[in-house]
Amino acid sequence: MDVGFFAQFVINGLMLGMMYALVAVGFTLFFGVLDVIVFSHGDVVMVGGFTGLSMYFWLERMYPHLSPGPKLLCMALVSMTVIALLGAAVARSVILRLRAAPSLNTLLATMMLGTVLRESIRLFYPDGANPKPFPALLPKWSVEYSGLTLRLDNLILFCIGALLIVSVHLLINRTRLGLAIRAVAQDEETARIMGVNFTLIVLVTFAIGSAVAAFAGLMNGLYYNEINFSMGLLLGAIGFSAAVIGGLGNIYGAILGGFIFAFLQTIGAVALPFASAYKDVFAFAVIIALMAWRPTGLIAEKTSERV
Amino acid sequence: MNQPRDFVIPGPVFCIGLAVFAAIYLALFLSSESQAAILVYMAAGGMVLLLNNMSELKPRLSEAIKGNERLCNRLAVAVVLALTAAFHADHYTLFLIGTILLYIVVVLGLNVQLGFTGVINFSCASFFGIGGYTSAMLLSKTSLPPLLALPLGGVCAAVVGSILLLPVLRTSGHYAALVTMAFALLFRIFLEVNDALGGPQGVPVRSMSLAGWDFGSDLVIGDLQMSFYVSYVLLGLVLLCLAFSFVRRIERSWIGLSLDAVRVDETASACFGVDVARWKITAFTIGNFLSGVAGALYAMMLAYISPANFTFGDSLIFLSILLLGGVGNSWGVVMATAVVVLVPEKFQVIQEYRYLIYSALVLLMIVFRPHGILPRKTRIYRPGEAA
Amino acid sequence: MSERILDCTALTKRFGGLAALNALDIHVDRGEVLGLVGPNGSGKTTFFNVITGIYRPTSGVVTFQGRDISGLPPQRVYHSGIARTFQRSRLCLELSIFDNIMIGNHKRLDLGLWNNIFRRSRFEAQYEEGMERAARLLSALNPDLVARMFRPVGDLPMIDRRRIEICRALVGRPSLLLLDEPSAGMTHDETRQLMDEILNMGSYSDGLTIVLIEHEMNVIRRVTDRCVVLNFGQKLFEGVYDDVVANPVVQEAYLGKDVE
Ligand SMILES: Nc1ncnc2c1ncn2[C@@H]1O[C@H](COP(=O)(O)OP(=O)(O)OP(=O)(O)O)[C@@H](O)[C@H]1O
Ligand SMILES: [Mg+2]
Repeated sequence: MDVGFFAQFVINGLMLGMMYALVAVGFTLFFGVLDVIVFSHGDVVMVGGFTGLSMYFWLERMYPHLSPGPKLLCMALVSMTVIALLGAAVARSVILRLRAAPSLNTLLATMMLGTVLRESIRLFYPDGANPKPFPALLPKWSVEYSGLTLRLDNLILFCIGALLIVSVHLLINRTRLGLAIRAVAQDEETARIMGVNFTLIVLVTFAIGSAVAAFAGLMNGLYYNEINFSMGLLLGAIGFSAAVIGGLGNIYGAILGGFIFAFLQTIGAVALPFASAYKDVFAFAVIIALMAWRPTGLIAEKTSERV
Repeated sequence: MNQPRDFVIPGPVFCIGLAVFAAIYLALFLSSESQAAILVYMAAGGMVLLLNNMSELKPRLSEAIKGNERLCNRLAVAVVLALTAAFHADHYTLFLIGTILLYIVVVLGLNVQLGFTGVINFSCASFFGIGGYTSAMLLSKTSLPPLLALPLGGVCAAVVGSILLLPVLRTSGHYAALVTMAFALLFRIFLEVNDALGGPQGVPVRSMSLAGWDFGSDLVIGDLQMSFYVSYVLLGLVLLCLAFSFVRRIERSWIGLSLDAVRVDETASACFGVDVARWKITAFTIGNFLSGVAGALYAMMLAYISPANFTFGDSLIFLSILLLGGVGNSWGVVMATAVVVLVPEKFQVIQEYRYLIYSALVLLMIVFRPHGILPRKTRIYRPGEAA
Repeated sequence: MSERILDCTALTKRFGGLAALNALDIHVDRGEVLGLVGPNGSGKTTFFNVITGIYRPTSGVVTFQGRDISGLPPQRVYHSGIARTFQRSRLCLELSIFDNIMIGNHKRLDLGLWNNIFRRSRFEAQYEEGMERAARLLSALNPDLVARMFRPVGDLPMIDRRRIEICRALVGRPSLLLLDEPSAGMTHDETRQLMDEILNMGSYSDGLTIVLIEHEMNVIRRVTDRCVVLNFGQKLFEGVYDDVVANPVVQEAYLGKDVE
């Protein structure tokens, strides 16, 4: 197998990994503050993609001469804002109401919410049941080197993704807001006593995580040149897997998990002799095996139950 | 002290009345085609439930049912038989009834896992599917008697499930949820890419035959012509009765007690000698076995199965049936399954929107009435014992 | 010199850097009531958790009735004859009183699939016996509860929940009973009543040995034969109640904490 071919897989893997990491970060943030899994997050990513697409059509109609750069910026801003609000609304109307319920109920409720989002797009977005082509708005420029194509658009997407994750990380670790979020994640009761507005912090955290998801949705569209109402389910499952194998509540874990999953898929595609179609089967099988080996993720939480 | 002071109608009469009412209601509902009529029936059904909840009738009704459990079980079987007789030539309705019966078996299995033991399983549709594909393969590749496909389907599901045992035992909470969820996705993708199992198009399944009685062709007895689905409904009913009494007996035994103890507080129960791992294994295996058996028969009834029948979404439907019916409550499961299967099929207006409406309803239900239609009561060990 | 039922030597349990138990030597004689006292966080509950197998000891040996039980899983420890209650009551609130008590009777229950499901007569005989046992225990503590055997425990007031926890611990006829602050969440009168009841229960299980963790020094004075005082996971003092309260080191450890 030649080097170029192999490197191509590495690049694909990195792109996928970044996308998964962006989704997983949301899962892990929400788990951090509320100890819940918000399974609808994958579908929120999908809605983010569709919001961006709608914005694109609107811009096309209103300002047909706008160049792709500002257009994309506009799309990203609008989509991230709308989805941030959606995330906060989800937290307010569903997740916070279920605080006292068993965690299975929350998980199931958010799965149902995911279905609601998915079906709404399928039924109410014009021709939503079919895959939608996503406009290529990034420069198509690329360099070729012994069979390996390095595309500028991919590079840009990767860098913005990385930038986003780093900013979330800095936000959590270096700002007052982040301090409040960490306080809530540590211990809700104490945080309240210290004067942290619990509900507000939860809503803000959901807004942040969802905004990141919106970008993941756009990235998905730009990378595959297509979006699809049903992509959220698998993305959600992958984001969840990534967050869990990394170790829930840990941002590094989420990033690690995202890249591990992409790596597994890539390995599955390259190395499985019989059929690359089995790559997802392989990836999920490894996830299950990893869970058997490390039941609370690779970067495990170090708490034992108090009796 | 079983009966309230002013109990005028004797319990058994009450129960028979209830069964007759249920049979007539269901017959009317199933036989109507017009959407307006179906809407009226659904509204009426809802009203009756609501009135019953508010009125004096409810405590009496539950007294009567509790006091005459055996009778009620028999009446339930009689209602199904009566409906089968009434619709003996109607393929579609009989197919719906058969589907309900087999779905109930799956949800009963899930009830043992999640409702009793608290073992999360997001892949029960996959185990249902393993049963289905087992029977498809057995019937096409071997000459085993088709009836054997039912237990073998269950065994295959249980055996495949045992691969998940290690991660399921070691993880808890969300981590355990992920294991089964990953399996559900894996299974679906596996079916789609595996050509030996028919790929995305699926495989045909031969019909059941029992000692010369071929389930694949219409039944003719004398000059009475009956749909071939009658056979499946009858066999499904037998299966359901077995599963139901099995699950009931588990619940009303020390095993049920141990399972509950594991669910409520693993640590404290371990301090009283409860072997947590053993009961989780038992429950997981029993549940998967039941799903597999039901899946094997379901595949034969469908005559053609494909990966689309056994998706993660289907697992969610099974789970939410359990939640709607009231986790741990076997009768609640029966009612909820009937509602979830029948309403979208009969109320065609919502056909296109059914997943949307359904998931929105379940969501609302979880938020506002988390204990389901019939919340579980404390265990009694013998029928009719006072609480 | 009476027989030692439980003997712990150099028992140590660390949580990360914190030594919750530090080279602890404690023994319990058969038939006695040993009081375990000490300030909050001194390792009393951890001691119970290590003995009952919830935590594995970092080092040290626990010998119970001549057998080394250190590091055994909780269900094995239970079968060897130790039962306990929990500081924060850990009943199964949604299960009935009868179910909760029967959980404690696991030692005697036939758990085979066949007998439970297909040979119901076997099961029913055991069931009758269990009912009788539960009723006998309950009537010693609170006869009113006998008639409410199938009500969920969650409906009961705190004192009744404590009683049921004690029934659950006693129904398996343990040789050693570990009580972790049975008075928590109750008034003084209720505590006194409950303790009297527990002492009377001694006759249910003959030669019952008890280790009692308790903050109420009144209770300690009335019921214990001997006390061990813990501080920072170490044994600070050992002796009868009067010596304990008179000891200056103990008083210092409790300084700022009200000793009655
Ligand atoms: N699972 C655990 N993980 C980490 N530290 C623990 C754990 N359990 C107990 N500890 C620590 O061990 C020390 C002893 O705790 P323990 O509960 O045994 O105290 P205690 O004497 O029972 O106190 P109290 O009177 O408050 O019940 C405490 O500092 C506690 O924080
Ligand atoms: Mg304590």
